Amino acid sequence: MNVGQDADLVARLRAGDEQAFEEIVTAFYPAMAAVARGYVRVRSVADEVVQEAWVGVLNGLDRFEGRSALRTWVLAIVANIARDRAVRESRSLPFASLGDGDPAVDPARFSAVGEPYPGGWKSFPSDWRALPEARLLARETIDVVGRAIDALPEPQRVVITLRDVEGWSADEVCDALDLTPGNQRVLLHRARASVRTRLERHLDG
Amino acid sequence: MADPRGQFQHGYTCQEVVELASEYLEGVMTPVQRTEFELHLNFCDGCFNFVEQVRTTVATAGSVSEEDIPDGVRAQLLEAFRDWGRG
Repeated sequence: MNVGQDADLVARLRAGDEQAFEEIVTAFYPAMAAVARGYVRVRSVADEVVQEAWVGVLNGLDRFEGRSALRTWVLAIVANIARDRAVRESRSLPFASLGDGDPAVDPARFSAVGEPYPGGWKSFPSDWRALPEARLLARETIDVVGRAIDALPEPQRVVITLRDVEGWSADEVCDALDLTPGNQRVLLHRARASVRTRLERHLDG
Repeated sequence: MADPRGQFQHGYTCQEVVELASEYLEGVMTPVQRTEFELHLNFCDGCFNFVEQVRTTVATAGSVSEEDIPDGVRAQLLEAFRDWGRG
């Protein structure tokens, strides 16, 4: 949705156009739910956060000036409410602190120092382009990826959901979640690495 | 002529390449880093396949279904919207 479409949509919403409202509910709800559950783990509380955010969206709509994309603005509202709620329930997820990350690939797959080609693959990852396309597109394969994403630590799950499931840009995710570009990238890198490992186990196992 | 790439003169190891894959795919490498990275992919089937696997992972994630809106929530939201319009 670009800025011109946003302006049109906002005008329709302000005019009380229910069709326009249905459109933004359909378009934004999944991302809003993903962000809320990134901060508050309890499903019912996360659902409340999303509901509360919609009230915030409606109340703020008259003041929305289009300086950011509509969906970035909406997501920032959810993130703020979710953050407040998490603080109140004193289990704020340290979005900004990245913690220790596992390596993208098990170090055992690389030769150690002292062996020939230290840091080189002991055996190469396989060429998935050689797999039948039907295998890659199979429901089962997609479900493996979906479950791998669900199992990620929250900040990683939120970032990969917005970037790769919902197709948001890095800038949008940084704005909505108040992340630095570097931290956004580290979270995405770790998330994709874990999901790739699970997919590899499925496809090559 | 001295090698201006300094520490990169021996290129990345495979273990370094996998950690840099996201910076490569996100397009945030410097031209020198990118050249060095692509040079490695050119001669290393393992890393070439790894980067392709990450691309496949990203593409497959794009097919994961988005969360459904819970029953009743859509109607509740629409009601809130109507109230807002009346307000």
